[in-house]
Amino acid sequence: MRILIIEDDIEAAEAMKRGLGEAGYECEHASDGEYGLEAARAGDYSVLIVDRMMPRRDGVSVVETLRREGDATPVLFLSAMGEIDDRVVGLKAGADDYLVKPYAFAELIARVEALSRRRETGAVSTTLKVGDLEMNLLTREVHRAGKEVDLQPREFQLLEFLMRHAGQSVTRTMLLEKVWEYHFDPQTNVIDVHISRLRSKIDKGFDRAMLQTVRGAGYRLDP
Amino acid sequence: MLKLPRFVRTTTFRLTLLFLALFAGAAAAFLGYIYVATAGEVSRRADNEITREMNSLEAAYRQGGVNALNTAIIERSASEKPFLYLLMDRTGKKISGTIPVSPMDETGDGENWDSFTLTDTDMDGGEIRRPARGMQERLEGGEILFVGADVSESEAFVVGIARALWGAGALIIILGLAGGVLVSRNVARHMQGLTEAVAAVRGGDLRTRVRVRGVRDEYDELAEGLNDMLDRLEQSMGGLRHAGDAIAHDLRSPLTRLRARLEASLIEIENGKGDPLQALEQALEDADNVLTTFNAVLAIARLQAAGRIPDPKPFDPGELASNMAELYEAVCEDKGLDFKAELTPRLSVNGAKEILAQALANLLDNAIKYTPEGGAVMLRVRRRSSGEVEFSVTDTGPGVPEEDRARVVQRFVRLENSRSEPGSGLGLSLVAAVAEAHGGRLELSEGPGAIDGSGPGLRVALVLPRPE
Repeated sequence: MRILIIEDDIEAAEAMKRGLGEAGYECEHASDGEYGLEAARAGDYSVLIVDRMMPRRDGVSVVETLRREGDATPVLFLSAMGEIDDRVVGLKAGADDYLVKPYAFAELIARVEALSRRRETGAVSTTLKVGDLEMNLLTREVHRAGKEVDLQPREFQLLEFLMRHAGQSVTRTMLLEKVWEYHFDPQTNVIDVHISRLRSKIDKGFDRAMLQTVRGAGYRLDP
Repeated sequence: MLKLPRFVRTTTFRLTLLFLALFAGAAAAFLGYIYVATAGEVSRRADNEITREMNSLEAAYRQGGVNALNTAIIERSASEKPFLYLLMDRTGKKISGTIPVSPMDETGDGENWDSFTLTDTDMDGGEIRRPARGMQERLEGGEILFVGADVSESEAFVVGIARALWGAGALIIILGLAGGVLVSRNVARHMQGLTEAVAAVRGGDLRTRVRVRGVRDEYDELAEGLNDMLDRLEQSMGGLRHAGDAIAHDLRSPLTRLRARLEASLIEIENGKGDPLQALEQALEDADNVLTTFNAVLAIARLQAAGRIPDPKPFDPGELASNMAELYEAVCEDKGLDFKAELTPRLSVNGAKEILAQALANLLDNAIKYTPEGGAVMLRVRRRSSGEVEFSVTDTGPGVPEEDRARVVQRFVRLENSRSEPGSGLGLSLVAAVAEAHGGRLELSEGPGAIDGSGPGLRVALVLPRPE
């Protein structure tokens, strides 16, 4: 999968290329907004990683222009500005996700992965299926190997997110943002506690655990 | 260029000059009218008397000819206050009268008026010159009759009036100018105080304040406004400087630690002893801690510099707390703590939901961190009788001694027995900054008290002002 990094900090872009390359992505780099816009128009990319503040053309303008031209390539916005308003501006411009600098590499890779896979999911379906785990989005029932799993509403949302990103690493911050819709880092590991509760419900009594802890990154639901 | 006094360059002085010009114009018109109405009237009256005399003499002439006229002139010349008479034949030769020659240059037909000067000799032989005025007419028979009058009295009256009016005009201009100068100097003096303060601030001295005289006029209002502004500016500059110091201070030690560890690991690995992977992981963790501290300090500094939450919106505090409770209840349970939430529904506060959520998370994190197993944490949202809305988190941990309560809110203050716990020492400072940015405050008090060797606990309340 090809990724375009639009970032004026050459060293940061190089580090990103290295890290994403290790994770199996093919990266190209544009060093300012104008080049970035041209490259994004010309090439076919799975994900665009766009820095917010750049010479010649800023990230918001790049994303707005692409969206106006009908380009729906997923965009991950990178910014040193972490205030809520800045995030809202980025998402309003048409970015799909927002990551504040400095970020952990695992966070970047997990988010890029989530964005690049999202494109492949096709039609809306009412059931999700990962391995022997099944979720009915209408009746809000969950079964593992035919056995019903009783979940609280928030646990249901948490599992739904994990199932939609099955096989991918998702970070604690992503879960807090996408499931609870909070944008801060709690000191205590609140997410771990909720994950372990969920884990006890879906994995207990089965010889194979589906909900895996990924060291240094977060969690992953394996089929 | 000529260096004018300060007040002359002021707008007020220029306005004063403009008003003075307008006022002088109006005064000139007014004084002119007075002049015409008084002095003009006096000369008109003198002219009327002369005309009347002329008419009466003409009547005598028409009745009795030149002889009757001559007699009338002689009779009248003897009266108390005589007119000046002169009857001449058609060539201009004197027939009778009180003056030798006509003061008129022309001897045309019809009425001729003229002012002239009478020259008399007084008792000492000196010349007395008096203003006079007269009219001359050619009679039906061709004779010329002149009638005049000494107008020195009315002339003196007119001169008196004119002098008085000139005086009044001069007085108006002098008083106007003096008033203008006084007002301008007054304004200039006030403005100078303001200008000097602004110049001082521009020069970098933020402690300058404008003097407030306490008379509650518009200058005082302006001065107070300016002083308020300077207070705020000084405070936020101070906050920024403090944040800078704090960042420098608190980042230096973990950065030094990080560097030392990296260096030590490098030497160990070179000697074939250390584990490179472990060293890198440790370095990463250290770097993350530095970033966490940095972000917290930055968040506090931003809140303090902004002074106010930029775009407050009304929301239900019970709902926010309920979401936080849902998030943290599991954590409490996991740690063997009893968690309880008492949330008053359908309240409303104005603020930034996300930022308050962060503040609540900090309070709950603290409570969970410091409360030993078997203890309890309680989250409460209620409205005080004052109308203020209070979020409070109460725990049964060791609490904070009263004398330390003000201190723990300050940046990087961590009590001795908490140094072993992880944390930046910024949690409560951030909550306090959030409270202040909402126009509220943070209150620390004792928890439920000491029971079974634990406690007395801590109760932290984030109090938001009553929504308008």
